[in-house]
Amino acid sequence: MVIDSWKSQIKRGTLEFCILLMINKRPYYGYEIMNKLDTWPVLSAKESTIYPLLRRLLKDGFLSSSWQETTEGLPPRKYYTITDKGREYLEAMLQEWGNLLTAVKGIEGE
Amino acid sequence: MEKVLKSYLEKVSKYLKRIPASERADIIKEIESDMSELQNSGKTSDEIIKRLGTPQNLAKAYLGDLLGTGTGFNMKRFLTICAFYSIAGFSGMIIIPCLAIIAPVFIVFGALAPVLAFVKMADSILGLGIPYMENIKIVFNGIEGLSPVMGFVFSVIIGVLLYMAGMGAWKLLLAYCRKTSSIKHKIV
Repeated sequence: MVIDSWKSQIKRGTLEFCILLMINKRPYYGYEIMNKLDTWPVLSAKESTIYPLLRRLLKDGFLSSSWQETTEGLPPRKYYTITDKGREYLEAMLQEWGNLLTAVKGIEGE
Repeated sequence: MEKVLKSYLEKVSKYLKRIPASERADIIKEIESDMSELQNSGKTSDEIIKRLGTPQNLAKAYLGDLLGTGTGFNMKRFLTICAFYSIAGFSGMIIIPCLAIIAPVFIVFGALAPVLAFVKMADSILGLGIPYMENIKIVFNGIEGLSPVMGFVFSVIIGVLLYMAGMGAWKLLLAYCRKTSSIKHKIV
């Protein structure tokens, strides 16, 4: 369907933004991020999207990561933390996001 | 960990073999951790594998994203591309060059054949004595002695067919490239 393709286009850029917004608040591990995103069907994404995305953000220096043991007897989890560079990136994204919303609202209200 | 999940991870690792070992181990460890979380939430192995998709596609997702957005050439990106194509299949490596050769050659010769045959026909009918005409031969189904007029008719037919085949190959090439790149951009 056409709407699905449009949604996936919107999602591509937005996911990165949302993940950074989340990690900016506190460290998260991948599975946790996916669960949280699942709360909103429009943002819901699978492993094959989230993990490669996190990896890229890591490579670009926006995130840092560390493995931490769990207390529940599960294997260690890889926690992601935002870096200074990541914070700057997020700041710029927030700015652009605001611009975008203003523009859409402006056109809509014409 | 169950055997199906273990073998799944081994397959992913195999597809990522061109990524440096330490990085690959990290990727696998993270997927393994994810599997445990899913198991812990009550998912069966089958459900987990269904969720993750085929090992090939998961590996492809990593490789596709590691290519990033830059365009500069470096060994690492080159190797990633190699790995990507080793998964994207030989299809891409064979189909694209084949079609890229077939399309223009067929189109050019499709147009050239009737032109040459026409020149030969004109030469023989009008007795122009154009040099090298003996080099244009129309061989149809093993019959070599066709009259220049018949030869022209045949070469027009063959020319049209060649041209159509060439255009077909060209369209196929375009469709193939579009399809492959749209897969790359699709988000699950």
